[in-house]
Amino acid sequence: MPYLDQYTTVLTTKTAAHLLRRATFGPTQSEITNFTGLTAAQAVQQLISNANYSPPPPVDLDSTKATAGQTYLDKPFNGDRNFDFGHYLRYWWLGLMTSQTTPPSLLDKLTLFWQNHFVTTREVVDDYRFVNQYLVLLRTNALGNFRTLVTKISKEPAMLRYLNGNENEVGKPNENYARELQELFTVGAVDFAGNKNYTEDDVKAAARVLTGWKYTNYWVVGSTSFATTFTLSKHDTANKIFSAKYSNTVITGRSTNPSATVTAGDAELDDLVSMLLAHPQTPRFICRKLYRWYVNPNVTQAIEDNVIIPLAQFLSSPTNNYAIQPVLVKLLTSQIFFDESNRGAIVKSPVELAVGAMRFFNQPVPNMTTDYAAFKTYFDFMFWRMRDMQMALVDQPSVFGYEPYYETGYSKIWLNTTTIALRSDYTDAYIWRWLQVKPDYKMGIDLLAWATSLQANFSDVTGTATISCVDVQAAFAKNLFATDLFPSQVDFLIDTIMMQGIPRSSWTFEWNAYRSAPTNTSKKNAVLYRLQNLMKYMLRMAEYHIF
Amino acid sequence: MKRRDFLTAASATILPVMLDGFGLKAMSRQSALVQSLVGTTALASDRVLVIVYLNGGNDGLNTVIPLDQYSLYNGLRSNIAIPQNAVLGLDGNPATGLHPAMTGMRDLYNNGKLSIVHSVSYPNPDQSHYRATDIWMTAVDSSQTSSSGWAGRYLENRFPGYPTGYPNTQMEDPLAIQIGYLTSTALLGSQQSMGIALSDPNSFYQLVGSASATSPGDLPCCDAGDLIAYIRKQQALSVGYASEIKSAADAGQNLATYPTAGQNSLADQLKIVARLIHGGLKTKIYFVSLGGFDTHSGQVDSGDVTVGSHAALLGKLSSAVATFQQDLKLQGIEDKVVGMTFSEFGRRANSNNSKGTDHGIAAPMFVFGSSLKHRTIGHNPDLANLTGQAGNKDVTMQIDFRRVYTDILNDWFGTQHTTTNALLFHEFPTVSLFSDTVESVATGNWKDPNVWTVGRVPFANEYVKVNAGHTMTIDKTISVKNIRLEGKLLFTGPYSIQMTG
Repeated sequence: MPYLDQYTTVLTTKTAAHLLRRATFGPTQSEITNFTGLTAAQAVQQLISNANYSPPPPVDLDSTKATAGQTYLDKPFNGDRNFDFGHYLRYWWLGLMTSQTTPPSLLDKLTLFWQNHFVTTREVVDDYRFVNQYLVLLRTNALGNFRTLVTKISKEPAMLRYLNGNENEVGKPNENYARELQELFTVGAVDFAGNKNYTEDDVKAAARVLTGWKYTNYWVVGSTSFATTFTLSKHDTANKIFSAKYSNTVITGRSTNPSATVTAGDAELDDLVSMLLAHPQTPRFICRKLYRWYVNPNVTQAIEDNVIIPLAQFLSSPTNNYAIQPVLVKLLTSQIFFDESNRGAIVKSPVELAVGAMRFFNQPVPNMTTDYAAFKTYFDFMFWRMRDMQMALVDQPSVFGYEPYYETGYSKIWLNTTTIALRSDYTDAYIWRWLQVKPDYKMGIDLLAWATSLQANFSDVTGTATISCVDVQAAFAKNLFATDLFPSQVDFLIDTIMMQGIPRSSWTFEWNAYRSAPTNTSKKNAVLYRLQNLMKYMLRMAEYHIF
Repeated sequence: MKRRDFLTAASATILPVMLDGFGLKAMSRQSALVQSLVGTTALASDRVLVIVYLNGGNDGLNTVIPLDQYSLYNGLRSNIAIPQNAVLGLDGNPATGLHPAMTGMRDLYNNGKLSIVHSVSYPNPDQSHYRATDIWMTAVDSSQTSSSGWAGRYLENRFPGYPTGYPNTQMEDPLAIQIGYLTSTALLGSQQSMGIALSDPNSFYQLVGSASATSPGDLPCCDAGDLIAYIRKQQALSVGYASEIKSAADAGQNLATYPTAGQNSLADQLKIVARLIHGGLKTKIYFVSLGGFDTHSGQVDSGDVTVGSHAALLGKLSSAVATFQQDLKLQGIEDKVVGMTFSEFGRRANSNNSKGTDHGIAAPMFVFGSSLKHRTIGHNPDLANLTGQAGNKDVTMQIDFRRVYTDILNDWFGTQHTTTNALLFHEFPTVSLFSDTVESVATGNWKDPNVWTVGRVPFANEYVKVNAGHTMTIDKTISVKNIRLEGKLLFTGPYSIQMTG
């Protein structure tokens, strides 16, 4: 069984689509075409270099306000608009995920991985500037260095607030961050065999290392900046002793700041991060989570031994020193990533379903700055639907992240009797087209135009061969599913769903009748009804919900 | 010799009192004791369990307050301690009180419909939210793991083969329902959840729609095939159950007045549960939850410690449970339903500087319903003898949570004891939740709370059974309602057992 060896076969339509489905929020047809013929290494390199690190900043999306369409992060803190401005950050981010004007990039899918790893939420942080700076930190460092990310996130105002780091003081520690830093962000609670990776006393010791950090200007209306501060008098300056799980490390308590730019807190935090990253389970914990995100939630002993452990060794090797990008490249260009057994091995999360469908069916994102009202309508629809499907962006139910990324069952948890119905309702909207994004833009698939595009010489009814219902089904299903349909399923879709039990030849008559009289409503509806039945059913199929 | 004097002994002798049947006072088959012993599986077929999950780790010491040790309590957490005069007193139990927000549950306690189970945990407790929740939901030792939940295993044993062939004529309704969108680990069977998620019975039917033609059942290989099979089954179940849920929701009625919709999410969930049960849905287990109990910071308001985020949560819990119980009473189905609360851990006995509490160990559970036989299981934690270092003290375990599960499976659902032991991986002693008899669990001194099923010394108004093989040492005169002696009593002096019933 091949594992981390590089996948050298030139990408076919299927393998290119697989890479794009997993590394981004889902491809368009033309992106699949463009990536076909590349090597995996070339393709992943493109997905990295296409990243746009300076997208336009979020704007006020409330068209009833005088400031509609204007940026707000460069203005003093506005408490009256705090919820809106925090909420628009999510639309801004969804816009980056959905945008089709730039070539595809893996940056935002990876940023979401880190946001679901180093969780803070808009609801708890509740100062839009804090949330923004946190998202930007994750996005800027997503492909950077894990050591930097852990160090910076530990002092980030949003995190200090979310896990009460700002209330962690000498003599009266607040252990919340110290625990999650170990359990969720670095070493993990237990190793693959289930042995504990640290002790309760390690939680207490780490909390003492982290004493003294605070932030300024939280929710201070009119303030133009905010910052992380370190207060030496609130810091526990005694030595901190860790258990054998950390090789009995002692972190020397600093009672003075080593320099004008390096505080005692920084010096001890560096020691702490070094200790956490030297724990043999930390790289495995991170690599296992990346594997579950990108390849398959099901980590067997063979995968642990042949993928997770060697990838972890690479991540923490002295030459790599916790750089993220080389590890991601190795994983996304590996033979195991492209192994056929891993196709369709994950249930689409709500964001993969919602953004993926928008992209696949070419639903253009209105320009955020100039067309803010339409932009808001578009993402109101997506955001609230995703929330109902149990994925409120940047509002995870807890610091553990969304349940399907850690609970038994993993991605299966996205689907149950209720969410399956909500998902059907979401994809049905692409068929019924009731969402008016703006006067000339109805969200959804123009099925008639699509079928018409398949028909050569549309008006020449007698002179040009007619597309069959088989052709239509094949075109509509092209690249739609991660796995191949069985011939029996294709026949079922054509005969039972599209043709409703009447002979396939009837399609030819109906289609030609429509070609002859495209403005005749009943002739148009006769074919549209079949196209709607077909596409609606295919989007409701179990096969559409895995990738 | 009067019967009541029979147990009196002048010197320290072991009395080999081995009476068959029911102790020293003749009892007819109709007595409450006999009924409680033989009648445990009566009506078991339509009994319902409601599991209430308090997500985040509830602060037990500010929920059930040890009034008998108030100054120690205040010393541990002076910045969040509830003032003594604000604590709600309990009838016949001056040692213990409830948080001032819990008037509804106080009334339930006073009416005998609420059991407080003190200091519940398990050996070698874990303080990770994830792991601790997993332990509670899967009911394993903290050194073990399981991929199925305790309630899921029960349902799988009771309804073998689910979901293949369900719904069917024997069980046309969902086995379990979680109000919400995701199903909990507690409901997981060996292959998949034994429950379904339901957010709103009114919209569910409309949302699911009617059945459409079923695609051929071919499956691709590997994980993709497993997932497709799973999703198709979920689709079939949602359609299969939608109409049953709709008819139950249409037939059922809420007769109590619940808090305004949207104000108390737990009340909203329990309102749906009451309506579905009243509507005749045969679902065995309902799972509801209330989040926000991870109170590391600001659990009380700075101006008034009796209000704040924790008070708001307890207020929601209390009014939701009390209204639900009132609804069941008005619907006339109170005897069919029992509910239990759980949270993954309690919180530290010492508060932190942020007017909050960090993760701790043991905390009280509540069991509610009209079928409960004891209002208090266990006793207040001994605040002078807590676990841990000064400043970081924890509440020690008295009752293993799996003892409560054991009673629910054995005595509420009428499961065979051997089956229950297999479902919970061990045999656990009863806490006598549903039996009015307090039993001995070991040889020891009568005054030792640990030798009794209820985790405390029997009250004067309780039936007592000393089990075979146990010898209870008695060094003072004791009152009980009645005693059934299969083991032995050892009197160390001129003491007696007074029988009040």
